[in-house]
Amino acid sequence: MKYAFILKAVLHSISHRKFSVFTSIFAISAAFAFLAATGCISFGLASTAVNSSLAFPLIVGPAGASDTTLVMSTLFNTDKPAGTLDYEFAEKLEKDERVSAVFPIARSDSYMGIPITGVESAYINEISRGFSEIGEDIEAHDIFSENGRKCAVIGAKTAARYEMKVGGTFFGSHGSVGDEDSELHDFEYIVCAVMKAVNGPEDFAIFTNLKSVWEIHRHGHHHHHEEAEEDEEDGDHHEAAEMHCVHDMCVDIGNKHHAERKITAVLVKTKNPVFTAALEREYSENGFTSATDTGRTVRKLLTYMNKAEKAAGFFSYGTLFLVMIMVFVTILTSISERKREMALMRTLGIGKLPVSLMIFLELLFISVFGTAVGTLGGHALLAFCKPAIDFELGINLEPFFFTGIEIRGAAYTLLTGVTLSLAAMVKIYRMNLVEEIAKD
Amino acid sequence: MAPFERISVKNLTKSFENADGGKKTIFNNVTFELNPGAVLRLSGASGSGKTTFMNVMSGLIKPDSGSVFFGDTDITSLSEGGKDRFRAENIGYIFQTFNLLAPFSVIENVYAPLAFAGKLPKNYKDKALESLNKVGMKEFAAKKPYHLSVGQKQRVAAARVLFADPPLVFADEPTASLDRNSSELVKNTLLELNRKGTTLVLSSHDPIFDDVKPDIDFDLETGVLS
Ligand SMILES: Nc1ncnc2c1ncn2[C@@H]1O[C@H](COP(=O)(O)OP(=O)(O)O)[C@@H](O)[C@H]1O
Ligand SMILES: [Mg+2]
Repeated sequence: MKYAFILKAVLHSISHRKFSVFTSIFAISAAFAFLAATGCISFGLASTAVNSSLAFPLIVGPAGASDTTLVMSTLFNTDKPAGTLDYEFAEKLEKDERVSAVFPIARSDSYMGIPITGVESAYINEISRGFSEIGEDIEAHDIFSENGRKCAVIGAKTAARYEMKVGGTFFGSHGSVGDEDSELHDFEYIVCAVMKAVNGPEDFAIFTNLKSVWEIHRHGHHHHHEEAEEDEEDGDHHEAAEMHCVHDMCVDIGNKHHAERKITAVLVKTKNPVFTAALEREYSENGFTSATDTGRTVRKLLTYMNKAEKAAGFFSYGTLFLVMIMVFVTILTSISERKREMALMRTLGIGKLPVSLMIFLELLFISVFGTAVGTLGGHALLAFCKPAIDFELGINLEPFFFTGIEIRGAAYTLLTGVTLSLAAMVKIYRMNLVEEIAKD
Repeated sequence: MAPFERISVKNLTKSFENADGGKKTIFNNVTFELNPGAVLRLSGASGSGKTTFMNVMSGLIKPDSGSVFFGDTDITSLSEGGKDRFRAENIGYIFQTFNLLAPFSVIENVYAPLAFAGKLPKNYKDKALESLNKVGMKEFAAKKPYHLSVGQKQRVAAARVLFADPPLVFADEPTASLDRNSSELVKNTLLELNRKGTTLVLSSHDPIFDDVKPDIDFDLETGVLS
């Protein structure tokens, strides 16, 4: 009866101070969202990395590219490619009997900041899990066959975000292969398929025919030189033997098409890990290319990420701790404002213990509720922000993944909360409240 | 109401330290006895020490010396917990201001002291409403103090005392800054309690209490007991 009334009093007191209680709990939630984000983002990155490293054990890129650049610029679409290499290397790799498949790619154009990657049909077959939408005249298993030359295949998330539909067109803001070249004209793409979500970076990508990437350069320079708009759809006739410059390298397009066949990397499937190691060595030492064992590099990246996650975790703990301090300072200030109220309770014969117990329970409620609502609310907040975060980071964030860091964070918060609540209770128990009220 | 024993105030002295470090004596060596059901009137101008005397007498603050006996119990020598319990069981207060607990509704304010003490009677809600009715505050039972005027708050404080029906009531200028109607209701409540045997310690210079004949009048300004 007596304790039931104390509980009731606590609830009254909390609802009486809704605003400050809500603010406190919100602040704790926000700090937890931080902590949750750290865990979920790195989890998303890690699962993506692991999946990709299984698919393409070897990546070959231009000479001088570091292991991480090779991985980041191909599998994650984040880094810029370090340069270009000739398509011949892809052809050479394909003929190598240690290799089971090659997927040459060329990063070139971009649309709304999303890189447009030139690939061959085989690559799409490799990564896609089918199409949610595909043009009637498009061959699903050879998507970049002749009639789909300017065809763009859109990742699920990109399509949803920019409401891209089959048959629609868009202009890439053009940069040349591996490099910016703003003087070139925009190139029009036609959406010919939208991929189903694969829960990887591919969901955020735009793919096009590798050949049309090469095409852009002819077109672009053609326009540039002629300052004309006459040949928007004449990609097939490039008989005119004009001089043409890509990467400070001037070639004669009419006669030397091959000199233009530049790519930024080759993703390679090898027949076994021993071949991967051998190929990595060969293609790192030939002076023209660099190569990396995807699995090893991803593992290295994951180690870094783990460290980064830990660092971010500590940062979040710091934030959480500051938030807790702020919350308690606010509450303790309100306690000194509440001295009169507590003193009145005391003069009414409500004992020291019930009065300090009330304050303890109130703070405990805020700590426990703040932590509970904080962890769940943090993840809910993350789920709410998922589309934006996904897009900004190009990863599939898993909003309801709970990490050890977060669980420890919750434990620390509770511990801090209970300790501070107890401290406040002792302080109030010791305070001569009656003298306080008698002062005025 | 429990029958109450005689109150003996013995050689009670209280002084405060001045800002300049000097001593300011509020009352000195006060001794008197108060029978159950009697009225003690504290008079004197504002700042003369009426509130201080009440606080010392009810055990809220310690005297410099002297004691206050309720029967055989010296309240000045009780532990804090003992004083809390004693107040909960024996004393009702009406302060000049700040009488109500903001988070609680009007009716909860009426029964809170007994609820915290775990001493609520069975039909406490009806009884609380009855007390509120007597001071004309029944329809405000569910309201929070925030919504009440000064006079209404004071009437709720009176209803709280009525509800607890303690053997001893301290009322510190209970009608100061109240309208006529509220003053009457508060005064009548106190008189009703006193008629039923409650000992009343009243500090007031409101002429509304002039027709109440105190058994003892203690003028804090002059230190004269009569
Ligand atoms: N806790 C205290 N410390 C110092 N001086 C006090 C304290 N409480 C009251 N006083 C002083 O004691 C005097 C009497 O105050 P009080 O008892 O409130 O008078 P009254 O109730 O008659 O107006 C005043 O001068 C006041 O400033
Ligand atoms: Mg006073």
